[in-house]
Amino acid sequence: MRVAGVGAYVPRFRLSADAVADALGQFHARGVEAVAVPDADEDALTMAAEAGERALGAAGLAPESVDALHLASTTLPYEEEAGTGRLRSLLGLDEDTESAQFTGSTDAGGAALAAGLERDAPTLVVASDAVRGVDDEAFGHAAGAGAAAVVLDRDGPGRVTARGSQTTTNPGTRFRERGSAQTTGLGVTSYDRQALRETLAGAVDGLDTAGVDAAALQAPDGDLPYRVAGALGLDTETVAAGSVVERVGDAGAASALLGLADALRDGAQRVLLATYGSGAASHAFRVAAEREIPVRATVTGDRALSFAAARRRRGDFDSGTPDGGGASVSVPSYRRTLAARHRLVAGRCRSCGALRFPPEGACGDCGATDGYEDAPLRTRGTVETSTTISQGGAPPEFAPQQARSGEYASAIVAFESRGERGGAVSVPVQVVLAGEDAPGIGDEVVSVPRVLYDQEGVRRYGAKALPADSRRR
Amino acid sequence: MRDAYVVGAGQTDFGSFPDESYRSLFATAVDRTLASADGLGRGDVDEAVVGTLGVGGRQLGLSGPAVTEFAGLSVPTTRVENACAASGYAVRNAVQAVKSGMADVVLAGGYEVMTDASGDATKYWLGVSGETEWERLTGTTFAGTYAQMARAYLDEYDDATVEDLSRAAVKNHANASENPHAQLRFECSLDDATDAATVADPLTLYHCCPTTDGAAAVLVVSEDVAEDHDDLDAARVAGVGAASDRVGLFERDTYTAIPASERAAESAYEMADRGPEDVDFAEVHDCFAIAELLAYEDLGFCERGEAPHLLREGVTNRDGDLPVNVSGGLKAKGHPIGATGAGQLVELWKQLTGHAGDRQLDGPEVGLAHNVGGSGGAAVVTILEGDTEREGKR
Repeated sequence: MRVAGVGAYVPRFRLSADAVADALGQFHARGVEAVAVPDADEDALTMAAEAGERALGAAGLAPESVDALHLASTTLPYEEEAGTGRLRSLLGLDEDTESAQFTGSTDAGGAALAAGLERDAPTLVVASDAVRGVDDEAFGHAAGAGAAAVVLDRDGPGRVTARGSQTTTNPGTRFRERGSAQTTGLGVTSYDRQALRETLAGAVDGLDTAGVDAAALQAPDGDLPYRVAGALGLDTETVAAGSVVERVGDAGAASALLGLADALRDGAQRVLLATYGSGAASHAFRVAAEREIPVRATVTGDRALSFAAARRRRGDFDSGTPDGGGASVSVPSYRRTLAARHRLVAGRCRSCGALRFPPEGACGDCGATDGYEDAPLRTRGTVETSTTISQGGAPPEFAPQQARSGEYASAIVAFESRGERGGAVSVPVQVVLAGEDAPGIGDEVVSVPRVLYDQEGVRRYGAKALPADSRRR
Repeated sequence: MRDAYVVGAGQTDFGSFPDESYRSLFATAVDRTLASADGLGRGDVDEAVVGTLGVGGRQLGLSGPAVTEFAGLSVPTTRVENACAASGYAVRNAVQAVKSGMADVVLAGGYEVMTDASGDATKYWLGVSGETEWERLTGTTFAGTYAQMARAYLDEYDDATVEDLSRAAVKNHANASENPHAQLRFECSLDDATDAATVADPLTLYHCCPTTDGAAAVLVVSEDVAEDHDDLDAARVAGVGAASDRVGLFERDTYTAIPASERAAESAYEMADRGPEDVDFAEVHDCFAIAELLAYEDLGFCERGEAPHLLREGVTNRDGDLPVNVSGGLKAKGHPIGATGAGQLVELWKQLTGHAGDRQLDGPEVGLAHNVGGSGGAAVVTILEGDTEREGKR
């Protein structure tokens, strides 16, 4: 299998090392200048959907052509439940997609890619993580977020010319106990470095690292990759060329793959990709671009957060969903409408051809009840009307989001059909704001996958929108 | 079909009443209604129709009998739920029952208790009459939906301003100050209304109705009953029209009109053989200030885009050519959801029969009530006429 395209997504918000040091009086994540912070309505699955969509777009592969989905993450919203089920729907992959979930180790991204290379039909490999740690440890200071995805097929421009793996026994360097959201470790510096060095070196052993333009190494911080570079036969420039940790922080299972995306986008032809997870396990790949590997990566941030604003987005300062009741959309009835909610699939009336959203019930134009043909909508739409829901104005189920992210807009947006028959239909959609004014009538917005809310322990995802000029490339 | 008359009407004060229950409030409205209908008592009532949304989640099942039995009315009772138009529709059902001949005396009313819930629970309930599966999942409550309508209106009509929204609030507060039953009996200035805290842009706090406890009822009787009881102060139900529409604003063709209001008004005018030019005064559904502007246009009081002019020129002031919301409207009289439609008809009956006290208009003959459910998923328009032949008996 070959590499057909690569995608990456990192949230727009950044918490700088200086801001943490100002707030906490300490910052122990070496070599990290800023970490990415997910918005309150982003999680490992929404980021995975963003990265996956970019990779498929880069590869020019239609979602329905994907044969297998490999999802890697240590921070999926549920310890038990196939995140691939939601991700498949968010991306529009067919239900006959074979899926596998790789978790429990930051090496999961490499494991997912290695398994994908064994397949013989188009496979989407996605690694996504939103790492957390406590505020008085380097793990917490380094904790970042992001997602990267690779599309594998038979004739892509990239080739994995060699690969290796290693499993050593090095307990205690980094772990998260059952039920905890915080990654921690014993903090035995020399032992930690040795574990990383011997495991990575074992995986890389036999790969020809000479001549690689960039080395995208697992980066728990911005120091460790350089500490082990020599053992891998790499110089520091090569490691730097495959590193995003200084700008993104520790992106867990997505860490090295984000480095790969960034390096390829910068024109690297030969990249060493090496993932690592404590315990310890490692996967290494030598990736060669025989032709240019298409990349769509959104890695840079554009909004700096204060420490308080970052922690607010994480939910540290609110008490969650208040009592009082939320909009009662049962999970079964929610599931029935997922295509519309996750991917803005409208309907075209079988009787008169008018577009309708949601595609159910009698046609709004002709009144017929003949049902609808699927009519996927474009992701870019035009605001027909909107209002800003100010602090305190959200219904209870959206109160946590508002407490964490602040004002948002509730809008009605006209989205055009992707099909040849054209036409547009009005869709109610929330516009996520990050300090921007709410979009005005006639302004453009772009749909994005986000968390709507949790109810009865079950997370609901749906399409929201960003102001079009806030959409990062 | 035979004529129907409103021959009695009563309401509680609208406001916040921690010492009252939804049952005691409704019972007070029944007592006052029957007391106003000289010669008719509980034993004369054939049937009752009760509107309530059930805010707070109290007695959601059998919420009609729960209040009529308490009030001493052991008659067949139907509960009507059409959100904020619940009791406007209850009155319509009563009129249908009387006109069809199935009943001679029907009590129609409504109630709501809204001020005993937490702020979060209130926000939940304020959203349940919007479209809950799609519209609400954008994170909006009702204020947000009407704000979207206001935003679209201000965009469509260049000379319309936020101050025009404020003018509706200023007028209705001034009117409420004369109404002993009103919840917000204080006047506000144009600046107060415009500069108040934003609830949902462009709507400020003063552009939004309060949450309210209250109950109201009217007694609808056949023309035979009205004729048999000379002492009754009667107002003829000249016309009643109703219409439904898509519950979600996004599902409609326009955001700057409420098509259900237009269609309900057309039906009511046709039945009454009247037009908007015949209306002497109106109680319209001003849950948010923009709703009063849309009502002027939907009801035919002016052309599209002209509502701001009616307000600026004082046409709809109490001393104007077409007084609107002399009671204070939902904005200042209050909006106890299930009681609001019946409460509008209480005001119509009082004005037409000379019982409106300090706020009595000068000899109005035709009054119109306009009651909307949600953001326009239901609307009902009722036209009452004073009975000039009975004028001497007032």
